Amino acid sequence: MGYKTDWFNGIFPALVTPFTAEGVDEDAYRALIRFVLPHVDGVVPCGTTGEFSYMTQEERKRAIEICLDEVDGQVPVLAGTGCTTTRDTVALTAWAREAGVDGALVVAPYFLKPSFNEVYDHFQAVDGVGLPIVMYNIPQCAGTHFKWWTAEGGLLDFDNTIGIKDSSGDLPFMEALFEKVKGDVSIFVGHDEVVQAALAAGADGAILASANLIPDLWQNVYRATQEGDLKTAQEWQQKVQKLVRIVVRCGANQACKEGLRLMGVDVGDSRHPIVPGGAFRREDREELRLQLEALGKIEKSSVTYLVGDKEVATDLFATHHTPDPVTDWTMKVGEGFAGPPFQELAHVDLLIGLKDGPVGRAIERSLTEWGEDRGLRTIAGRPETLLVPTVTIRTAEQRKLFERAAAGVKLAIELSIEDGFLPEPILDDIALIVNAFVHPAASIAKRVEFNNYKAARHAIRKAIEGRPVVEELKAEKAAARHPFRYAP
Amino acid sequence: MPVKVPWLKGVFPALVTPFVRGSEAVDEEAYRRLIRHALPDVDGIVTSGTTGEFPYLSRDEQKRLVEIGVEEADGKPVVAGCGASSTQEALALAEDAKEAGASAALIVTPYFLHPSDKGVYQHYYDIATTVDLPIILYNIPQVVDRYLPRTVVEDLADLPTVIGIKDSSGNLTYTMEILEYAGDRIDVFVGHDEVVVPALAGGVNGVILASAQVYPEVWQEVIRMINAGQVDEARGKQREVQKLSRIFCRHGGGVAVKAALKMMGLDMGPPRKPLKSVGGALLHETRAEIRLELEKIGKVPMKGTAFAYPDGPLSERFGDLEITAEDVAEHGLRIGSGISGEGINRVQIDLIAGGKETPLGDAYALQMTYPLHRREALTTILEPALTVRPSTLLLPTLPQRNLRQANMVYGPAQSALGRAIVDGLEKEVIPEEAVDRDVMIALVTIHPRAMDRHTLSKSVHAAATAALREAFT
Repeated sequence: MGYKTDWFNGIFPALVTPFTAEGVDEDAYRALIRFVLPHVDGVVPCGTTGEFSYMTQEERKRAIEICLDEVDGQVPVLAGTGCTTTRDTVALTAWAREAGVDGALVVAPYFLKPSFNEVYDHFQAVDGVGLPIVMYNIPQCAGTHFKWWTAEGGLLDFDNTIGIKDSSGDLPFMEALFEKVKGDVSIFVGHDEVVQAALAAGADGAILASANLIPDLWQNVYRATQEGDLKTAQEWQQKVQKLVRIVVRCGANQACKEGLRLMGVDVGDSRHPIVPGGAFRREDREELRLQLEALGKIEKSSVTYLVGDKEVATDLFATHHTPDPVTDWTMKVGEGFAGPPFQELAHVDLLIGLKDGPVGRAIERSLTEWGEDRGLRTIAGRPETLLVPTVTIRTAEQRKLFERAAAGVKLAIELSIEDGFLPEPILDDIALIVNAFVHPAASIAKRVEFNNYKAARHAIRKAIEGRPVVEELKAEKAAARHPFRYAP
Repeated sequence: MPVKVPWLKGVFPALVTPFVRGSEAVDEEAYRRLIRHALPDVDGIVTSGTTGEFPYLSRDEQKRLVEIGVEEADGKPVVAGCGASSTQEALALAEDAKEAGASAALIVTPYFLHPSDKGVYQHYYDIATTVDLPIILYNIPQVVDRYLPRTVVEDLADLPTVIGIKDSSGNLTYTMEILEYAGDRIDVFVGHDEVVVPALAGGVNGVILASAQVYPEVWQEVIRMINAGQVDEARGKQREVQKLSRIFCRHGGGVAVKAALKMMGLDMGPPRKPLKSVGGALLHETRAEIRLELEKIGKVPMKGTAFAYPDGPLSERFGDLEITAEDVAEHGLRIGSGISGEGINRVQIDLIAGGKETPLGDAYALQMTYPLHRREALTTILEPALTVRPSTLLLPTLPQRNLRQANMVYGPAQSALGRAIVDGLEKEVIPEEAVDRDVMIALVTIHPRAMDRHTLSKSVHAAATAALREAFT
């Protein structure tokens, strides 16, 4: 029979693993653990978010050792020890037991697809180690989705099982677990998008990728639920929903790592074949940054703008991306892209530059000579902003949709003034040219507006921060995949 | 005892259903034109199939299509699509089809609600034992969302009026399984345009295809070649229509077929709503691709393409940017040109680079405000949200007459130009100080008939590399 411990409750981050070229980056890993420790009830080294499947056994052991040392008994350590073979899993779990972890998180054996009786035997063998075991259901990666009867059978039969982590997000499955084994073992949710629902339904805690970034906010959800204050718990879930959706659906490990870097905790990038700008797309990075700002996780700081003869100090959400001072305002080029859906995607090219430079001169001349004919017009006076349709507008329906794109661009400019990227004192010195694209087959007006808002907001920041930088271009050149490069 | 019928072989088009613009009424005259167009090269026709938008047709309309089919088919067999979600309706449609003179009923796996295997069997059993009309089973998981279970087919094949199955899945493991377990008793037809040759080689008897109203003669040839053991020739033939077949199967179905027929002078009207003629499942870009492919196989005439690659002294080729040879000299602008590729893959790139404070900076900003009609300049990217540096505009020298031409410029050409620029940074052809200081504009000339994206990319990369080298060294 499994049993319930007193320590397996609450919020546990599935720690990302920082890497150097050679192995685990010990200093960065310790810094990360110190960063989350005040807010968590336990930690999970070498989980899925920790890229366990890209680590050697020796590296996993090293990460677990560092974690145990840094945590130093303050909270329990639940180590990911699952491997594809029973032999490796038993060996690593036995090692972890000796090392002094509190429990092991053991994923369903993956890639080759053992049948359920083979999976059962696997867990039975791991149970023999004698370490408290948490079964781990993550069909998105493992390819095996436990059925309630296999989970129940495994959970109840094995002496050392203390719980299950379910990352599927499959709430009917969780409800069956509550029905069958609630109270006998701990039931943890591992899907960040349904945490509040699962906790309210009876889950004992959560092991989460996004708890690397916002462990304190997850505590708000957890504590409010424990206190029976569902309304507060719901509100917090809704506040973090967009952030966690980006994290979960866009390759959690790289997303968490880039999020941490934006927050000043540099844990590097994921190991290949996970690449920057891959599953976690560039537009996701921009949106994650905006969400971290909205949640108070990135704070404003002072940056100097040298615009013409002016020196302006502006408070903005600076990160490692942001140069200080920001110089050379002759003409800055920025680009942004946002979708889906395909027909409503936005692709914004923009220039920001001095009014008495190429940008200002081009606006003046174009408005005089061909503005009306080509559907050009200024959509903002401060800063003067010329909006240019990239695709010729032919029908009234297209004109209507382009108005929505214009509204999106306008909002992006307003919010960029508000957040300090376009500071008040330079608004009379600079001008913008914004090329916006609306696909002739676009229908969904709201998406056109919102995508253009996003693309323009990203483009403004990228122009000012000089992104992408050459290092990014060199690193990503080989793998870059232009969507129109290929035949249908 | 199961009976195979002698006529169930060869090429059958799954006809589109023409509608009148606006009213959406069935356009009977257009339907007759379509049948007359296809008839010489087919062994029979199929009315109100999936390509014919059968779920959008009333019972009366479907019967009328069979009647017209029988009138026009000149004695060739007419297979009536009798697909329905409920057994009751499928039965009624099959009764109608018999009355109207159909040779067989094509009955799709019951859809939307999810009957068990037993329910599916009962559906076909009821029809087969009630209506005196041969039945062809129909597996099309792409729209039904389930396979017609092989074990059900195996049992249904014992019924005397079940004569065949159409497998549109494209999944050859399923096709082979059906041939193995039922091929001795019923005829198997392939319904997926992309896998005709392998299916025929595997043993199927014929084809029911959307594309068989666009190029039936191609499929007749393929069947003849396979029967004659000329597998290499058959592969080559299929390869000629592979992309079009893929577009029909995966990018719009009947809608894409109607677009192709219209280009060939057979206007079958729009689809019924909520489908769109273009801009829905069939993208504008894909429609442009259909025309190109039809041109390639001679189904629509090629348009004239008089044009010239820019020539004369390089420093005088930037007039569109209002930059003169004197400007180039006075402001130390860097210029370079590169040519690569043969025939329609020949690409010329004339490149100019220089400081943002020079007339080139003004030209750059002005281009962003002055979309030259059909020659819109675009910021060069490796992929969306990955702009290259120094910032570079790609300006096509020739007007883009259609979306496909535009795609060649903004897809393969843009990404290859981007890659050449980043290569230039890596190899230090482009100096580091140029990254923030300079901008570049690349005048790109691509043959209007260019069609091979892969080759085009290679040409653009080579031409751009040469142009950058000349400009910066």
